[in-house]
Amino acid sequence: MCLGIPGKILSIRDDAGLMMGVVDFGGVRRDVCLQYVADEVQVGDYVIVHVGFAITVVDEEEARRTFEMLREMSQLDELDWMREVAEESLKRTEPAP
Amino acid sequence: MSEAANPAALRCPAPLDPTDRVQLGHGSGGRLSAQLVARHFLPHFDNPALAQLGDASIVRVAAGEVAISTDSFVVQPIEFPGGNIGSLAVHGTLNDVAMMGARAVCLTAGFVLEEGLSLAVLDRVIAAMAGAARDAGVPIVAGDTKVVERGKADGLYINTTGLGLIDPGFRPAPSRARPGDAILVTGQIARHGMAIMAAREGLSFESAITSDSASLAPLVDLLRTAAPDVHVLRDPTRGGVASALNEIAASSDVGIEIDEPALPVPEDVRAACEMLGLDPLYVANEGVMVVFVPEAQADDALGALRTHPLGAAAVRLGRVVAAHPRIVALRTALGSTRVVDVLPGDQLPRIC
Amino acid sequence: MKYLSEYRDADIARTLIARIRARATRCWTLMEVCGGQTHTIVRQGLDELLEGAVEMIHGPGCPVCVTPLEQIDKALAIAARPEVIFTSFGDMLRVPGSECDLQQVRARGGNVKVVYSPLDALALAQRHPDKQVVFFAVGFETTAPANAMAVHRARALGVTNFTVLVSHVTVPPAITAILEAPDNRVQGFLAAGHVCAVMGYTEYEPIAEKYKVPIVVTGFEPVDILEGISLAVHQLEEGRHAVENQYVRSVRRAGTEPARALVSQVFELADRQWRGIGEIPMSGLQLREEFAEFDAERRFGVAGMTVTEPAACRAGDVLTGRIKPPQCAAFGTACTPERPLGAPMVSTEGACSAYHNLARYRTAGAAS
Repeated sequence: MCLGIPGKILSIRDDAGLMMGVVDFGGVRRDVCLQYVADEVQVGDYVIVHVGFAITVVDEEEARRTFEMLREMSQLDELDWMREVAEESLKRTEPAP
Repeated sequence: MSEAANPAALRCPAPLDPTDRVQLGHGSGGRLSAQLVARHFLPHFDNPALAQLGDASIVRVAAGEVAISTDSFVVQPIEFPGGNIGSLAVHGTLNDVAMMGARAVCLTAGFVLEEGLSLAVLDRVIAAMAGAARDAGVPIVAGDTKVVERGKADGLYINTTGLGLIDPGFRPAPSRARPGDAILVTGQIARHGMAIMAAREGLSFESAITSDSASLAPLVDLLRTAAPDVHVLRDPTRGGVASALNEIAASSDVGIEIDEPALPVPEDVRAACEMLGLDPLYVANEGVMVVFVPEAQADDALGALRTHPLGAAAVRLGRVVAAHPRIVALRTALGSTRVVDVLPGDQLPRIC
Repeated sequence: MKYLSEYRDADIARTLIARIRARATRCWTLMEVCGGQTHTIVRQGLDELLEGAVEMIHGPGCPVCVTPLEQIDKALAIAARPEVIFTSFGDMLRVPGSECDLQQVRARGGNVKVVYSPLDALALAQRHPDKQVVFFAVGFETTAPANAMAVHRARALGVTNFTVLVSHVTVPPAITAILEAPDNRVQGFLAAGHVCAVMGYTEYEPIAEKYKVPIVVTGFEPVDILEGISLAVHQLEEGRHAVENQYVRSVRRAGTEPARALVSQVFELADRQWRGIGEIPMSGLQLREEFAEFDAERRFGVAGMTVTEPAACRAGDVLTGRIKPPQCAAFGTACTPERPLGAPMVSTEGACSAYHNLARYRTAGAAS
């Protein structure tokens, strides 16, 4: 479950042994508990925040790589990749299980 | 205010020392009441009708039909980024009158104050009300104050009533929407509701979101001349744009289609909505209106709205259709359609 | 918003839809087990756009929907007590119990407050030492780390007026229960992205292997869900059944280890009732014995409460995909969004509420 949104860490502090930070979500800022990602984060990193806790760090390199793939795919001439897909299907003579 | 101040009818002993808080005695009709009126209300609301301090105020209005609207304001917190309960109370009622195409003539203001309310807060609320009324050129001509025990009023409640003159050449009404009408929205949405959310305990987030609370009369005046055939005007307050559109669809017995990509939501408001799982369509607005205008005058209406700071972000939102009467349908960016229904109650922040 | 808005790109979404349609040689049946994913699918009309190629069954992925009736009744009993400030996520407020809901308890004078985070509830307890603050700890594995931290922190700070009413459920046993059902139609799953961000996805590998179903860890935005569905359909067309990760920007195979560690420290697995479904063994979390002092059920003596669910509500059959909401006799009559019998009608992305909405539109002759 589910409502986790990505935000950028603006500052980090120690609150009586708990690592807390101010995280910015597109112009809205909130105090977030960073304890679970304490070993991984620094100011400027993006984290996924759910009910006031960072539950994971966003892998920006992976995000860039996979999003680029998606964008290229959508910019390809539609006929090109549809032909590819059609050829792939023709190769399979067995029906799917 | 409009009650007679009668020192001889003192019902409670006036304390010798001034305090900085509202006391029960301030509502008793005695010396404290008179002091409250003289020191806190009159200096801000001063105008000839009110200064008479009669039981009722006399105003002269031209012959014709009048629009009259009343609203009570109980917003928490009392003060929020972009205004307070006072400015809201003036804008809200002025807007209700303006949505009928009427020109506001005067306002009344009734107060229920909680014992213990800070007089400094009261002064800020009154100053904001007076400022809003003055900017609109509409005097507050009658009023009343009561004080209730601690715990019975959340600080203060305000009721305002507005009187306006109907313009015979410009008569928008909720039942006048027709298939083919363009639906416009005059500005960015969901700001007021999220500004309030940000200020509430328990949801603690910081933002620069401010309420859009404002009088829409200047925009209505622009439409009077630029698009005299406007069919419906509505300020989408509680329940947001979604509720307002549903009400109009029902009143006019027509269908409505809106385009999701057209919804103008400021980035930080959208972020706040994302965080709490709220839909901007259901969040309150206090300085925005939806305009239903025949397509032939839609571009003129948009042009006129955009000449004013309040309407600079005006855009087309959708259209009225004959299909699916009484239903508001939303077209997504992907081309699919879903129904925008009325919520049974308040929209709640969610986690999933 | 970065890492969010770009995954709503309509061009990319349309391309993915076309790709799924082109690839599918038959209609495949998939299930998502996550309220957030259901929300996106319903709001973006993705099932409408994939009609004929993919049928999405909305699984029991909304913790609000599956919170058992007796936990709601316990919450209502506790919230009605004068010394209690009852705190909860917003979604829980209108979920119907046997007699009423939390909003009605508030109307009758109960002190019920919506909070965004369990840490807000803990802070409330510190600010009101004369009151008992209770937090309704509902959720899947995504929320367990937050609730665990609140309890852990309460102990560390010596806060004694804070307790939690626990109703945690875990996803893999639910998927297994669905696959074990003799009339199961689901051929592939989208796994909940944020559950997996915390837990990783190794638990799903034996399930994919045993039942020969593809399981794709998927995010929440339209592009994420469509990409997840596309990966699942490609697997099904090619006769594969592996665990794949679509949500690579947020999910790693091992998950977030410190979060899992604290959850294990504070909670342990237990049998759990799922509303409308019944008991699924070892599918829930409860507080470990050493944290018993933070258990609201014990502090307020409601642990023994049991309740029978109303026969008319078929939430379980809807949540497992056995029936579509309109096939329930109470749908639209005894059970409506204004007067819901069960949670899928309360929750705005619940299957019943979504159908109720759409049904009005389609009957009114939307085709124009």
